[in-house]
Amino acid sequence: MSELKVAKQENILAHYGPLSYEEIGFLLNRMSAFVDKQGMSITIKKKVYSAMVESLENIYKHQDVISSNSDYQPRFSLFLDDKEFSLFASNSLLSQKINPLKEKLEKVNSLNKEGLKDLYKLTILSGSVSQKGGAGLGIINIAKVSENKINFKFENVNNEFSYFTINVAISHNSAI
Amino acid sequence: MEPLFIEPTEFTPKVFFDPENSLFEISGFSRPENVIGFYKPILKWLEEYNDMVLSQNINFKKSILTLNLKMTYFNSASSKFLLDVMLEFMKFMSKGNKIEVNWYYEEGDDEILESGEEIADMLGYNFNFISYLP
Repeated sequence: MSELKVAKQENILAHYGPLSYEEIGFLLNRMSAFVDKQGMSITIKKKVYSAMVESLENIYKHQDVISSNSDYQPRFSLFLDDKEFSLFASNSLLSQKINPLKEKLEKVNSLNKEGLKDLYKLTILSGSVSQKGGAGLGIINIAKVSENKINFKFENVNNEFSYFTINVAISHNSAI
Repeated sequence: MEPLFIEPTEFTPKVFFDPENSLFEISGFSRPENVIGFYKPILKWLEEYNDMVLSQNINFKKSILTLNLKMTYFNSASSKFLLDVMLEFMKFMSKGNKIEVNWYYEEGDDEILESGEEIADMLGYNFNFISYLP
C-alpha cells in the first residue's frame, strides 16, 4: 500500500461532515473560480474537476455511515503547490468492501495511460455499470486524469467499519 | 413523432431531438443525481423513433440523420449513458439511413476532445470534431 503524502501546500478547499449533492456542486464551483483566477488552462481545470467529481460522488454513492460514531464523517481537501494539485477524499465504509476496492485500486495503479483507456473501454462496454453508475469507472477516470498513481489507505474503526482515504496529484505545470 | 425537448438544469444537459428535420442534439453539462432517471426516457424515445418511424420508412425524409454533441462536462456515470445513446443512434444506419456525429469541444479543452475520440473509437465510427471559441 502506498503511503499518503504529507501536504505542505496551500489549502484551497476543505470539507468535513455529511456531503449533499448540492455541497458537491458548491465545492466544484469554488475550485473552478479559484483556477480561473489563477489563469490556469481549461484542461487543468477539467482534470481537477473530473477528479473531484468522481471522488466526491464515490463518497456520496458508496459511503456506509457509522450511526454509532460521528467521528468518521466524509472529508475532502484540495491543496496546491508550485507543481501540482493534491486531492484527499475520505469516507467510512464496511470493512467487507475493502478487498474488492483494494483490488480495483491496485489494478488501476498497475496500468499506464493506454492500459487505463483499455480498462475504461472494457468496463463501460461490459454492461456491468450498476444502478449507481458504479463499476469502478470513477476510479479509472481519476487515474486517467491525474496521470499519477492513486495513494490510498484503510484505517480500522471497529469490527464492522473502516475509514477509507484516497490521495491523488494532478500536475499543473506542464499544461499551462 | 413528437420532438423531445428537455430543458437544461444545473446538473443536466439540454436535449433536443427534432425528427422532422433529422436533427438530434445534446449539449451542456451532465452530472445528474439520478443518472438512470435522466437518460432512460431519452433512450426510450430513441428506441421508439427507431421502431415506429424508421422501420415504417414513410413519415420523414431520411437522407442524413445528424447528432450534435456539445458537452462541456460529463461524469463517468453519464459517459456510460451517452455511449448507450450513441449506440442507439448507430442502429439508424441499419435502416438504410446515413448518419453523422458532430462532436463539439471548446478550443483548448483536451479533456472533452479526448473523451470524444475514445467514444468514437469504442463505436468504431468516425466523428467530426469541431472546435469553437469560448
